[in-house]
Amino acid sequence: MEINTPTKSLAISIASLVIFITVWELICRLGFIEPLFLPAPSQILSRAVKMIENGQLISHTLASTRRVMVGFMVSSMVAIPVGIFLGSSRFFMAVFDPIISLLRPLPSMSWIPLSLLWLGITETQKYSIVFMGSFAPSLLYIIEATKSIDPLLIRAARNLGASKLDVMKEVILPGSLPQIIAGLKVMLGIAWTCIISAELVAAREGLGFMIMNGKEYFQTDTVLLGMVMISITVMVIDVVFRKFERRLLPWTR
Amino acid sequence: MNRLLKKMLCVLAAALLLLGGVGVHADETPEKVTVIYGGSSWLGHYPAWVGIEKGLFQKHGLGVLFQNFYASSGRMGSLVAGDLDVASTGSISAIALMAAGSKGFMAFGTQDSYATVEGIIAREGIKTLADLKGKRIAAPFASSAHVLVLDILEQQGLDPEKDLTLLNLKVNEMPAAMGSGEIDACAAWTPHFNKLLNMPGNHLLVNDTEFSLYKKYKLGPGPDLLVVRTEFAQKYPNTSKAFVKGYFEAVDMLINEPEECAKVLMKLTNLSMEDQMTVLNDIEWVPGDQQRALMVDPGDFVTGMQQLAEFLVKHKQIDTAPPVKEWIMESMVP
Repeated sequence: MEINTPTKSLAISIASLVIFITVWELICRLGFIEPLFLPAPSQILSRAVKMIENGQLISHTLASTRRVMVGFMVSSMVAIPVGIFLGSSRFFMAVFDPIISLLRPLPSMSWIPLSLLWLGITETQKYSIVFMGSFAPSLLYIIEATKSIDPLLIRAARNLGASKLDVMKEVILPGSLPQIIAGLKVMLGIAWTCIISAELVAAREGLGFMIMNGKEYFQTDTVLLGMVMISITVMVIDVVFRKFERRLLPWTR
Repeated sequence: MNRLLKKMLCVLAAALLLLGGVGVHADETPEKVTVIYGGSSWLGHYPAWVGIEKGLFQKHGLGVLFQNFYASSGRMGSLVAGDLDVASTGSISAIALMAAGSKGFMAFGTQDSYATVEGIIAREGIKTLADLKGKRIAAPFASSAHVLVLDILEQQGLDPEKDLTLLNLKVNEMPAAMGSGEIDACAAWTPHFNKLLNMPGNHLLVNDTEFSLYKKYKLGPGPDLLVVRTEFAQKYPNTSKAFVKGYFEAVDMLINEPEECAKVLMKLTNLSMEDQMTVLNDIEWVPGDQQRALMVDPGDFVTGMQQLAEFLVKHKQIDTAPPVKEWIMESMVP
């Protein structure tokens, strides 16, 4: 089936979501699954209303958003220049490649013991978990984006008398930026996956904390609400990111 | 003829009795010989450990596998998911699961009473509970230690949201946090409780005896509860009964031969013999013959659990207080 217009596409997506939620609700209401194992969407909604009324949902969401954004922004601020530098230098890439390869597969959770020793049970420790979870993959995205620039363009610019800085400013940056931004969008989603690890130790608020605390009290509706909130927050941030992308990269429209 | 008939009837009766006897014996044979028990190094699991190490379950034809869990919530989750058969749990988790409406487990006993092996430990400079104002206190959320902190703070008129910083920290992460000065006080239970108390500068601020329900009902903030998976108890009644027998024989052994038990418990807790004996001396074991009075008639323990459930609702830890009585499996209470 061909979908010609964005309106049709949106209608299909909405219908699919409505069917999914209805089937889920029916399965739960007809007693096929115990609410402890899977609460009905209406139960999750009722929990959401309760937590909005007492202000907890907003405060958990804001706490996690702050942690993810700080960790992710610091990670991006370090990864972008380092990645561009490594992507344009074969020598330094050869030097740092083994270290990046060692860091890349480490899950954010594996940094908890060390981060606790180095930074204690502070907010910085939580930012550092997001940072460590997103830094190495971001760096790789940026290196690859930089490497993808056609060497002919660089050579042509150099032949026309451009300095190394000019090549960086006029060729490499504009050429790799769309791919870098696309990579960072993916990385922002990955940064959110670190929030459970970040809020596992000594937290008193945040969506990760909310999920883990809900688990302790067998409040599966709270657990699922936390998960839904992470998804919604990521979607909202993604929309903001796209607007920012359009402004930053007008030529890609 | 009559004599012959009588003789024959006697032989028949004897044969029936014998067969009946064998039948009774056969009926008591465990239907399943392996039981998976969920435990940890907490004192509530000592009887299961002693029962395994001293062959008390084996005597009843059972092989018991001791599965370690860090927290009661994980243990209870595994129990209702069908990965465990029997467990001991802190009652906070049990009440939370009851409040969630799960009928996948039932309670059949309480093995111990303790009040001096859990409490709030503070660093130098914090002399009274009032000194906690403005300080950083850690407790593992959703645990008995957390409930103790909430109750003590309420008694002191301190608001955990405004007057101090209450952090969620696992008990095994507390020694490092106390040592580095990142927290000023923490609530923990044995064996970490003993380790924290032995650290220089640390001292006991308050223990479970100050818990409001302990003062009224002699009930700690998270009394231990023996639980069984409902399906397991219904499917394997003889196995369940054999487990209960072996278990309470272990409780008797802990009462009568604590030193002998301490030797095998050191493997579980990693405490020194001296510390292990100190912990054992602080526990009041509840033998099998006292269980019915606590759990069924008049059921004081269950009444206390109900109070605890209401306490949790009051402190916004659960939404509603479940009727605890509905989760007692009377047929398994010795």
